[in-house]
Amino acid sequence: MILLFVENFKISLSAVFANKTRSILTALGIIIGILSVTLMGTLISGLDKSFESSMSWLGKDILYVSRYEWFSDMEWWEVRNRPRMLPEYVNKIKEKSQYALAVAPVMQRGASLSFEDKSTRTEIFGTNEEYMETISTNIATGRFFTKNEDRSGSRVTVIGEGIREAFFGDKDPVGKYIKIDDIKFRVIGVLEKQGKFLGLFSVDKQAILPFGAYKRIFSKRGWMRLSVKVPDDKLEDGLDEIISVMRHIRGLKPNEKNDFAINQTKAFEKQYKALKIAIGGTGIFITLLSLVVGGIGIMNIMFVSVKERTREIGVRKAIGATKGMIMGQFLMEAVTICLFAGSVGILLAYIFSFFINKFFPSELPIFLSLVAMFMSIVVGVISGFIPSYRASKLDPIDSLRYE
Amino acid sequence: MALILLKNIYKIYNVGGEEVRALDGVNLEIKDNEYLAIMGPSGSGKSTLMNMVGCLDTPTSGIYEFEGEMVQVMDDSQLASIRNRKIGFVFQTFNLLPKATAQHNVEIPLIYANIRKDKRKEMASEALSSVGLSDRSHHRPNELSGGQRQRVAIARALVNNPSIILADEPTGNLDSKSGEEIMKILDDLHNRGNTIILVTHEDDIAQHANRIIRLLDGKIIEDLYIEKNDSFIC
Ligand SMILES: Nc1ncnc2c1ncn2[C@@H]1O[C@H](COP(=O)(O)OP(=O)(O)OP(=O)(O)O)[C@@H](O)[C@H]1O
Ligand SMILES: [Mg+2]
Repeated sequence: MILLFVENFKISLSAVFANKTRSILTALGIIIGILSVTLMGTLISGLDKSFESSMSWLGKDILYVSRYEWFSDMEWWEVRNRPRMLPEYVNKIKEKSQYALAVAPVMQRGASLSFEDKSTRTEIFGTNEEYMETISTNIATGRFFTKNEDRSGSRVTVIGEGIREAFFGDKDPVGKYIKIDDIKFRVIGVLEKQGKFLGLFSVDKQAILPFGAYKRIFSKRGWMRLSVKVPDDKLEDGLDEIISVMRHIRGLKPNEKNDFAINQTKAFEKQYKALKIAIGGTGIFITLLSLVVGGIGIMNIMFVSVKERTREIGVRKAIGATKGMIMGQFLMEAVTICLFAGSVGILLAYIFSFFINKFFPSELPIFLSLVAMFMSIVVGVISGFIPSYRASKLDPIDSLRYE
Repeated sequence: MALILLKNIYKIYNVGGEEVRALDGVNLEIKDNEYLAIMGPSGSGKSTLMNMVGCLDTPTSGIYEFEGEMVQVMDDSQLASIRNRKIGFVFQTFNLLPKATAQHNVEIPLIYANIRKDKRKEMASEALSSVGLSDRSHHRPNELSGGQRQRVAIARALVNNPSIILADEPTGNLDSKSGEEIMKILDDLHNRGNTIILVTHEDDIAQHANRIIRLLDGKIIEDLYIEKNDSFIC
């Protein structure tokens, strides 16, 4: 059986190569099908990767308490009428909540930073000493500010890796003074490199200031949110508790709606899943369509091949081929075309994903290549089945007489 | 025991509502190592009879026993196995695979017989050299003369050591010199113990056989054994 398998494969190869143009044209549908399924997979795996790292940066165990929902179909005026977050919520939450492990207020705005003759525009954050517990990034050099520095309004800052690179190069930034909107701050630490959030914008260009100094210098009022860390095995309980603590702080009656939002990475996950389904659905649709069209093309070409080689089939039967052997020969031919098409499709996908990777982190999963190969084989078997079956059923005498 | 036994064989075609009796009640017994020539006018049923004997065709009615076994009850793989191991076909139009070399053409029956590659190469080379074509083994059919192609076809027929060679007008497409070469090979095979069944239109080709049957309209009208005196031939 192995011998025959090898032989059939050789026959198929020579049949496919004898009609190169025909084979390539026939294979086109399958090539596109395989290309689209692998590219789709590449895209999704790339999205998954950057999503995962972005989400871990946000932190699954962090509740973001603010005025706005991240993704919401609420009317804007309804949201606008909500009361703003206040700095005293930090202590209130700490008092009333048993799940809150860390509570950090976060204010944010754009500012221009400069050091010697270099300057850049970036986001600055004002927060307290518990902030580090609510992000997954660590300090690379130096240290974070302390509670005392926060209270006393010390002008110290922790900068992102992007700022360090732009301003200091090889030099040690700790102890140096930079200007934030023309006010001097002493650099006391640098955050680790974090990369791009969702592959879109860099979060390494930032400066973190103690809440006290930030509030005094940059804005007393202004947009603020709270990051609340809860135990990651008590996410649901933590959420419920923070909601009721917030309702209590706001003095809401049982029949009143929440006038605040508590966001979690889950919200991103939901959005992301919808995006994934959209990409996946489109990809699968294109794939199925081109595989069906391609499969019909293969079936057609196999009918032609069987017809062209009717006499050969007669001869082969006369010298001892069984029906099964003839069937195997033609099935193998169909599968060979499809495998060829599948390989070309995967190769193209690798080339494409190499270029896509320049703009967007992506990678063609090996597993998907195998699935694509398997799919090619299945298409080959399905589309080759009827022509091969017909070939096997041919009457040897009629075939030998065939001109 | 008869090698081949045909009892009251009919092969009836229906062409446009009209009955064509390609074989019309044929009774024939062929023994081991016979050298049989089938003659008759065109359309008399020679090829039909040949294909029947070669297990390529099935009769409309009648009984065919091959080595004492009923052919009608055999399944596809048994028939394929007989065609592969017991019978070697030689056609008027050679019927070689055009894209394969002589060597590969000869190897095909061995592939179906599931014989290992090295053994296969050896057997095919041997068969090619027995028909005098060792030096042409890597040629494709279109690089060979008609006589050479037919010799490749014979090599293919005999490579799996079948006991019976069926040749349907093997010299029909050849000039008389090439035809004689082919007949010499068939004579040799007969002398080595093979059974040869041959369809021909030519009397001098039929003279190589030691039995001649004549067909007319699907019936055997003459069955003649030729007494051969070896000294006579020289
Ligand atoms: N598939 C078929 N359908 C209808 N009639 C057929 C078929 N095959 C053969 N015949 C008829 O059967 C008869 C015998 O055909 P066969 O091929 O056996 O003749 P033959 O003796 O070999 O002739 P030739 O010497 O020309 O080769 C012919 O009359 C032919 O028309
Ligand atoms: Mg004939």
